[in-house]
Amino acid sequence: MSAPHDERRDSNVTEEMLHAFADGQLDNAHRGAVEAFLAANPDKAAEVALWQRQNAALSTLFGPIAVEPVPARLSPREIAARQAARRPAWARMAAAAVLLISIGAGTGWYLRTATTSQEEISDRLIDGAIAAHALYVRESRHAVEVGAADKGHLVTWLSNRLGRAIEAPDLSAQGFTLVGGRLLPPLADTGKGPGAQLMYQNQTSDRLTVYITASSKDFGKASETYDEQGLEAYYWANDQITCTVVGDLPQTQMQTVAKGVFQQLSWRPDPPGRS
Amino acid sequence: MTDFLDEIEAAVPALRRYARALTRDADRADDLVQDCLERAIRKRGLWRPTGPLKAWLFRMLLNLYRNDLRGARRRGVHMALDAMPIEPSTPPSQPGRIALAEISRALDQLPNDQREALLLVAVEGTSYADAAGILGIPAGTLMSRLGRARAALRALTGAGDEPRLRTVK
Repeated sequence: MSAPHDERRDSNVTEEMLHAFADGQLDNAHRGAVEAFLAANPDKAAEVALWQRQNAALSTLFGPIAVEPVPARLSPREIAARQAARRPAWARMAAAAVLLISIGAGTGWYLRTATTSQEEISDRLIDGAIAAHALYVRESRHAVEVGAADKGHLVTWLSNRLGRAIEAPDLSAQGFTLVGGRLLPPLADTGKGPGAQLMYQNQTSDRLTVYITASSKDFGKASETYDEQGLEAYYWANDQITCTVVGDLPQTQMQTVAKGVFQQLSWRPDPPGRS
Repeated sequence: MTDFLDEIEAAVPALRRYARALTRDADRADDLVQDCLERAIRKRGLWRPTGPLKAWLFRMLLNLYRNDLRGARRRGVHMALDAMPIEPSTPPSQPGRIALAEISRALDQLPNDQREALLLVAVEGTSYADAAGILGIPAGTLMSRLGRARAALRALTGAGDEPRLRTVK
């Protein structure tokens, strides 16, 4: 009954189809052809059977993990409740500080509910900062346009192009030194001018970037967000600049760094407590 | 919000299984899953994920795992010996059956990209399309990783030398 050997044909059966057959992912249209092929090719049939035994062994090995009781710390409800209970302390502090500064500046700014468009602009800026980060941190020779050796020139140049007096924050307390910076084109539909990207690096070659644009009267919430590449971004805005800190460090470290950047870049008309 | 959390909860057992299979360390695996869940839940309001939630969670878990690996390599941290799984004793196996201890050891020797791919398909039962999406690679690359992983396991377990099964139809 078996197909005679001289009739074996490679037909249209591909290696992909054999894997799909072994994994139960082959569509019905090809099933007949694959079965006939395997009947005619004992070597291949043995290999496919081996793949299936490998699958079975791996499932036996790891399958039971999925029926173990799940620890309470992995309950999404508990995590959501925990997060609602404590927003990051520095974010609250930042929001309060920005509020303070805006009032201190006497710009007639008043609290308003965030409009959708404001949120959208913030999201675009964060997106832009993340994209620029992902693009340039992997560069070695061309990571920055102007290196830290020319820091004075870098800061003056970026300040002129942004129309805001910015500084390159000193993050040595957090273990990071300035690599340098570059000018980036304006992001569409944000109403913002060009952006400045400052890059920092620590001793283990972790890099983070600070993305700054000029801002006018709008007030962006102090906020945090995450992208899909394991990157973390912290964003805020006051009436001088918007600033986004991007990196892939552990969360606590990112918060420390972001806080350092915030403290140094926030535009303060008066030292707090004296106004 | 409630639906979102329910959907996440339904994915947790599979996330734990995949994380454990990758790391071979129950605590480290659960730490990764917790980190993944925290990010997902925080991110919920900020980004609208496209595509199935489960694939999105797996992608995030993988990114965290890879970051963790990179960090471990940089810091030169070695995994504890007790991180090795307890190897279940296998009864005198039926012909052709692969000893679990053997495949467990073999899996450890696979390059990471092959292990990620094979476990997604063989243990998680992920469709090829979803697996390619989770790994961020084209379908063809997924298939070649799968092929290489299976060939490597075969060589490492010596299972290729077993008596051929006779297919009679």
